[in-house]
Amino acid sequence: MKKITILLVGLVSVLFSCEEVIDVELQDGPVRLVIEASLDWEKGTVGNDQIIKLRTSTPYFDTQTDTSVTGASVEVINLDTNEVFVFQDQNNGNYTTDAFVPILNNTYQLTVIYNGEVYQGTETLLLAPDINTINQSIEDGFDDENLEVNVYFDDPEDEENYYLLKYYEEGDLLSSLEDVSDEFVNGNEIHDFYEKEDDEDSGEEAFVPGDVVEITLYAISERYYNYIKILNEQTDSGDPFSTTPVQIRGNCVNQTNQNNYAFGYFRVTQYVKEVYTFE
Amino acid sequence: MKHGFLIYFFLSSFIATAQERFSISGAIKDLNNGETLLGATVYLEGTTYGTVTNEYGFFSLTAPKGNYTLIVSYVGYETITQQVVLDKDQTLHFELNEASTALNEVVIVAQESEVTSIREPQMSVAKLNAQTIKEMPAVLGEVDVIKSIQMLPGVTNNGEGSAGFHVRGGAADQNLVLLDEAIIYNTSHFFGFFSVFNADAIKNIKLYKGDIPAKYGGRVSSVLDVRQKDGNSKKFSLSGGIGLISSRLAAESPLFNEKGSFLVAGRASYAHLFMPAIENLKDDKISFYDLNLKTNYQLNQNNRLYLSGYFGRDVFNLSKVIKNNYGNATGNLRWNHVFNDRLFSNLSLIYSKYDYRIILDFVELDWIADIKNYNVKYDLGYYVNNNLKVDLGVSGIYYNLNPGEVKPTSETSGINYLKLDEKRAFEGALYISAEHQLTDKLALNYGLRYSNFSRLGGQNLATYVDNKPVVYNNQLEIYERGDVESETHYGKGETIKNYGYLEPRIGLSYQMNESSSIKASYTRSTQYLHLLSNTSSVTPLDVWTPSGEYIKPQISDQFAIGYYKQLKDNAYTLELETYYKQIDNRIDYIDGSSLIGNNNIETEILNGEARAYGVEVLIRKNRGTFTGWLAYTLSKSEQRTLGGNAGGPGINGGSWYNTPYDRTHDISLTGVYKLNEKWSLSSNFIFQTGRPVTYPNGQYEYEGLSIASYGDRNSNRLPAYHRLDVSAIYKPNKHPERRWKSEWVFGIYNVYNRQNAASISFGQNESTGLNEATQISIFGIIPSVTYNFKF
Repeated sequence: MKKITILLVGLVSVLFSCEEVIDVELQDGPVRLVIEASLDWEKGTVGNDQIIKLRTSTPYFDTQTDTSVTGASVEVINLDTNEVFVFQDQNNGNYTTDAFVPILNNTYQLTVIYNGEVYQGTETLLLAPDINTINQSIEDGFDDENLEVNVYFDDPEDEENYYLLKYYEEGDLLSSLEDVSDEFVNGNEIHDFYEKEDDEDSGEEAFVPGDVVEITLYAISERYYNYIKILNEQTDSGDPFSTTPVQIRGNCVNQTNQNNYAFGYFRVTQYVKEVYTFE
Repeated sequence: MKHGFLIYFFLSSFIATAQERFSISGAIKDLNNGETLLGATVYLEGTTYGTVTNEYGFFSLTAPKGNYTLIVSYVGYETITQQVVLDKDQTLHFELNEASTALNEVVIVAQESEVTSIREPQMSVAKLNAQTIKEMPAVLGEVDVIKSIQMLPGVTNNGEGSAGFHVRGGAADQNLVLLDEAIIYNTSHFFGFFSVFNADAIKNIKLYKGDIPAKYGGRVSSVLDVRQKDGNSKKFSLSGGIGLISSRLAAESPLFNEKGSFLVAGRASYAHLFMPAIENLKDDKISFYDLNLKTNYQLNQNNRLYLSGYFGRDVFNLSKVIKNNYGNATGNLRWNHVFNDRLFSNLSLIYSKYDYRIILDFVELDWIADIKNYNVKYDLGYYVNNNLKVDLGVSGIYYNLNPGEVKPTSETSGINYLKLDEKRAFEGALYISAEHQLTDKLALNYGLRYSNFSRLGGQNLATYVDNKPVVYNNQLEIYERGDVESETHYGKGETIKNYGYLEPRIGLSYQMNESSSIKASYTRSTQYLHLLSNTSSVTPLDVWTPSGEYIKPQISDQFAIGYYKQLKDNAYTLELETYYKQIDNRIDYIDGSSLIGNNNIETEILNGEARAYGVEVLIRKNRGTFTGWLAYTLSKSEQRTLGGNAGGPGINGGSWYNTPYDRTHDISLTGVYKLNEKWSLSSNFIFQTGRPVTYPNGQYEYEGLSIASYGDRNSNRLPAYHRLDVSAIYKPNKHPERRWKSEWVFGIYNVYNRQNAASISFGQNESTGLNEATQISIFGIIPSVTYNFKF
C-alpha cells in the first residue's frame, strides 16, 4: 500500500506543490544501543560467516559521532540444538563468527551484554523461495518511460509468508527495501518490481541499459515483517498521506532495565540473491 | 422534584393559552424567485411576540386578541409592515423584495436576525448563505462552502489539499454533513482541494458546533446542514460561470402554473480537456463534476412535494498506472404537510451512497468499496403557543457497507479474488424537543433523543483468544494482532450487537437587556459509524465502519456558555463562547496498523477518549459599505488511548497527546468593502498555529540506512499557517434594465506567497546520504479570474 501512498503524494505534487529543504530544530531523545544482528544465510552456501553490528543512536542531523560500540559480549544459541556461537569483538562495532550453523526452522536466541545490561532476542530461520524469473520492462511500473526490473517467485499456499526484497544498484549509496506479504496473493507467483526515476532533489536517477542491480530475496518472520514494514513506511515519512510516525520497536529486549530498550533487530533468514544487468 | 419542575413548564404554557389567543401562520418567500426564506423574522411591533421561519420558510405566531403592526424582515430584503386585526386564526403569506441597495452587499444572516437573535436559546450555530460564500476569495476562484466555514471560529482544516473540516477539535468523520437531509460521506473533490457543494445550487448552510438540536444525531462533533435552492418559481432563469478550474451552469424555472419549480445545476472541471495537448500528461485524466437537481410541486395549500438529488464524481487516471474514481450520490423525496396553522409535518425518504474504485495496473488489481444508506424520517413541528414550540420525530436508517472487493484485472494477475465481509446495520431514533419562552427574559430549549443501533448479521464474526483482538506483548512492548479462536456465522435476520442511548439536549438563554444575553447548553450525542484513517489527512480510500462487537459507539458530552451583545443598533455583534467537550470510545490505531483490505479491523485499534476545550470570539460588522467579521479561537484538543482489555499502557505510553486537529490559536478575518455600484473588494486573512506532528528525536544506522527514532506522538508542530487573499468583483451593469447580468471576479490567493508547510518529511538524500528535512507547500500565490452571469 506504500505504493498507493507514493502515487497520491505524486498526484498532489503534480498539481501544485513546491518542495524545499529546510532547517528544522529538533529535540534530542536518549542515546540507545543499536543492534543490527542480521544472520543471513545465502541458500546453497554454508553460512558460517556472520557479522553482528553494535552501534549507538545519535541526534538526527549528527554526522560526526563515532557510533561503534566495543567491549560488548555477543552470543547466539540455537535453542533446538543448544549449540552456542560466540561473536568476537573486532573493536570497530563489528562482532563476527566463522562457525555459525544455520538450520532451517530452528530457533535462535541472541544475547548481548553491554554496560552491565543484558539484551535478548529470538528468531526462527525460514526457507527462502527461489527466484523464478527476472526481467526488465518499460511500459509497466509507475512511469511508462522508465526502466524497471521485475522479479517473480512462487509463494507456498499452506501458510502465511513474508518476504523482504532488497534492491541495490551498483554505485548507489543506499539500497531500497520492499516488504511483501502474501495477503492478497497467497499461493500464487508473486511479482515485485523496482523502478527509479530522475529526481534532481533527491539525486535519484532512472535506470539505463548497463546498470547493474543486485536483488536479494529474504524469507522473514511475521514479526520482522511488521517491523520492517513500519521502518519502510517511515523512511520518508511526513507527507499528508503517511501514517503518524512511531518509535520502531525491535525484538531485542533489555532484560536488566526494560526502559533502556535497544533499537535494531535480531533476524535469522535464508535468502537468494541475483544480479541483473539492464539491457 | 425534577419532574415537578418540568410539569410547571408545560402548565405555565397551557395556562397562558387559556386567555383568548389567535395564530397567524404562513410562508415567507423571495418576491423575485419564489425561494422560501429560512430564518426570516416575523414579529408584532412593540411586543415580545415574534418568531423566525423554519427550514421550509414556514412560521406560526400566536398572540392575545388585539390590533397589531406585523413586521416581516430578513437581512438583505425590504421589510414589510402590515396592520393586522387578530380576532381569529389566520394565514398570511409574504413575499419580500431584495433591498436594491443591498444587492452587492455581503448578506450575513447573523446568529438569528434582529429581535430573536439574542433571545433564542439556540447557540453555537453559524449560518452562511450562498451569497456570502460567493463573495469570499477562493483558491483559483473556485467558490468553496467547506473552505468558507473554516473562516468561522472553532472550525479548521487539516492543511491545504486535505479533505473535510474539523469543528471544536473534532475529527472530520465526527461531522454530520447533510445535503437536503442526505448524508454526504466525502465532502471533497480533487482529494480535498475543492468541495462537493456547488454554490449555485445552494440556498444556505447552517453549522451546529454544539447545542445540536435533538432532531439531529449520529455524529459527535457537529452538524453541517446544507440546503439546496428550490428553483425559481416566478420565471425561467439561467446562471453560470466560467472559472479556471470549472464551469457552471444552472437552470431554474416555474412548473405547472407556478405550482412548482425546478433547479438543475451542473459543474464540471475541464483541465482534462487540455491535458492531451501536454506531452507529459497525454495519458492522464483528472476531472470532477457535480449535478444538482431539485424540484417541488404544490399539491394544494397544505401539501407540497419536493424531490432533490445530487450526483458527483471525481476521476483521476494517471497514465496506465492508476485509475481511480469516487463520488457521492444522494436522493430525497419529501412531503411537507401543514395540518393546520400550528401543526406542520415533513416526511422524507432519503438515499445516499459513496463509493470508490481503484484500478492499479501495475499489480493488476481492481478495488471497489462503497457505503449506502436508506433513511425514512418523519418530523412534526407543533406551535403550541407563542411561548412553546414542540418538535418531535422518528427516523430509521439502514446501512449497507461494502468495505472492499478486490478483483484481479487479468488472467495473469497474481492477485486473488477477495471480498471483505459486507456489513449491515440499522440506526433508529426518536426525539422530542421544545423551544420554550419561560419569561420575557428566560428561554429554554430542551429535548431528548433516543438512538438505537443494531449491527445486523449476514457475516462471520471472529472471536479471539482470551477475547482480545489486540494483545500487548509485555516483552517487546508493542501491540500485536490477537489470534482468531473461531468464527461465528450470523444470519441476515440475526443481530450481532445492539446499542441504545438516551441523548439529552438542553439550552437556555437569559436576556440581560435589550442588546445582550447569556446562553448555556449541554449536548450529549452518539456516533455509530467511524471513518478508519491512520493517515494525517483523510483520503478517499478511507473506509467507514459501523460499531459492533468490538468497536463501541462514540459518546460525546459538550458544555458551552456564551455571551452575545449587539452594538449600535445591531450594526455590530459580538459573540463569545466557551466550550468543553469529552468524547468516549474514540478509536486510535496501534503502531503499524494496516487498515486497507483488512477484514478484522478490531485487531488494529484501541478504544480511547478525546477531550477538547476552548474560547471563541466572533465580532461581526453587519451593515454598511464595509461588512465582515473577525474570529478568534483559543483551544486545545487531545486524546488518550489506554491499553484497556489488550493490556499495556496504551498508545503513547497512555499519556494524553494532541490530536492532529489541535490549533492553539486560530484567527480569521473576512471583509467586503463596497467601493461603488460597480466594484466591491473582499479579503480574507488567516493565521493559525501549526498542525501537531511527530518529528524525529534521533537516528541510527540499520541496513545501511539512516533510521529516524521518534519521540512522543504529535508533540511537535509545523510552522504557523498564515495567508492573505484578496478579490475584486466587477459588475459592468451598463444596462441595468436588461435581464442579462454579469460579473467578473478577480482574485489573488495567498497574496504574499507564503510557503505554508502542508507537511515536513524527514529522510536521507540519495546522493549525499545526509539526513534532511523537506517541506512540501501546496498553494503559493495564485491569481484567478472567473466570469459569472445571470439571465
